[in-house]
Amino acid sequence: MREWLFATLGTAAAVLLVLPITGRAAGGEPQAFYKPDTPKFPQARTWVAQKAKLPPYKAPRTPDGVPNLQGNWNGPVGGGNDDLEEHEFIDVTTPPQESYVSDPPDGKVPYTPWALAKRNEIRAGLGRGWPGENGQRLYGDPNALCLVGMPRISFGAQEIVQTPGNVILLTTNTYRVIPTDGRPHMSGDAKSFFGNSRGRWEGETLVVDVTGINGETWFDSAGNFYGPNTHMIERWTMVEANTIDYEITIEDPTLYTRPWKMTYPKRRAGTGPGANPLSTNAVGAAGAAPAADPYAKEFWEQTCTEGNHDNVVILKNLGFKWFNAPVPPK
Amino acid sequence: MTRWFVGSITAFVVFTFASTPVAAQTAGTYTPPKTREGQPDLQGVWQALNTAAWDIQDHGASLGIPAGRGVVEGNEIPYTPAALAKKQENLKNRDRLDPIHKCFLPGVPRITYLPHPFQIVQQAQRITILHEYSRVIRFIYMNGNPHPAGHIDWYMGDSRGRWEGNTLVVDVTHFNDETWFDRAGNFHSDALHLVERFTRTGPDHMLYEVTVEDPKVFTRPWKMSMPLYRRQEKDIELLEYDCAAYLLKQEWDKSDSPLLR
Repeated sequence: MREWLFATLGTAAAVLLVLPITGRAAGGEPQAFYKPDTPKFPQARTWVAQKAKLPPYKAPRTPDGVPNLQGNWNGPVGGGNDDLEEHEFIDVTTPPQESYVSDPPDGKVPYTPWALAKRNEIRAGLGRGWPGENGQRLYGDPNALCLVGMPRISFGAQEIVQTPGNVILLTTNTYRVIPTDGRPHMSGDAKSFFGNSRGRWEGETLVVDVTGINGETWFDSAGNFYGPNTHMIERWTMVEANTIDYEITIEDPTLYTRPWKMTYPKRRAGTGPGANPLSTNAVGAAGAAPAADPYAKEFWEQTCTEGNHDNVVILKNLGFKWFNAPVPPK
Repeated sequence: MTRWFVGSITAFVVFTFASTPVAAQTAGTYTPPKTREGQPDLQGVWQALNTAAWDIQDHGASLGIPAGRGVVEGNEIPYTPAALAKKQENLKNRDRLDPIHKCFLPGVPRITYLPHPFQIVQQAQRITILHEYSRVIRFIYMNGNPHPAGHIDWYMGDSRGRWEGNTLVVDVTHFNDETWFDRAGNFHSDALHLVERFTRTGPDHMLYEVTVEDPKVFTRPWKMSMPLYRRQEKDIELLEYDCAAYLLKQEWDKSDSPLLR
């Protein structure tokens, strides 16, 4: 049975397993699959132009006197982060979309030559039937194995809770605690998927400095990657009552020729253009759920690893390798 | 079911008054500080300091497992005869059968006494427990909603809290039967029902009590209790133990891993 499955489905099976089955509509009606004539989803370029026109905004304060970012927030709306760079229609789950990258202005990740070759090698071995693949299966998106890391944890919906000395980000199945009490970083040798976050307030902005990231997950599912020396700096700024401007700067001279940035608006759940009607978790559904359901705003148990075992086994048996943190030759 | 329930309540009352848990003697005498919402403040980073993760009953040492006093009041777990046989099978094969080897959600109350810290975060209508172990989150709702209709098979159950004086009382139902209480094979069914009690007993100590009911496995309710300790390190914070990721990384290149079959 298993051999038959692999022989028959091969790459197609891998594609279906690695990708979300349903596309996300930009607003209005849910749609199962995108078509080649789907209009291009806006991302960083459009948002940078929009936010330049916003009037100054001063956020309400918590009892501690810092900007109050609390509440339920969506991630970037649009076609998903299958590929963070600008692209045209690729397949039914990857519609045309602007780049997440706001700097450099061309929207490209400023890889070094070695790193660009590495990214292209990964992309050619995704085994998902994309143009330019070489027919080999190299790495699957680590996220398909339920591995979650920085900064993708911020690319979904989440609740922000602030307590004295902490900003806490909650999803239905994971969290980040960001100390804002001025404590120093741990040694950068202590690596982890989420790294070591240290927050501080600069006026209206929560600045989070993240070190110690292990480099074992990707920015997207197309092989755009970082490494164990990558330093990330997030800036969370409320720019309207229902909008946080999220900006992240990525620094790593071993992989990129210059620091670069991604930017998108996080809308309060249930507000803003493109609120996702297909969202299945309580954060995203909070605004859209029928008010009569008293449980609409609760977070209920959401497992990943527990239900993912068959996917993992199939990806392994299809020959996908384990993605180790990439380190360029000296 | 009803008859069992009434019988079990009677047994529970008798049991409770017959035993005098040492730790419980100090409960209720300390007045904890209050949160901004006026609730007893349980916030901070806490950890159990005992050997319950290996065995919740009295046990001697073996390789890699320290000896320990149990956390079960009276030390006896009232298994039905069939369940006791299963527990002994579990114990014999624990290196293979303990579900924690799969790095799935470890269940309640086991998550509380794993050797990892956890952080309690309080809001007016919800108490959240963030666990370092696999970044497990428990949401304890205090918004007036009862348990949702079920049965629902959840690893960590559905937690509904209330305050009794300065004690947080959490009623937990809707479990699956895929978690154990410890490494020693102590187990439950999907009929598990827990009542947990968190009571501050001092600035840096909290009493954790949990009453266990499961008519498919036990002949009467029984109880565990243990102190929880506030971690004293100046810059204590939850770090990362991504069990599933480490397991996959270790097993990925093995040609025939029993864990990836």
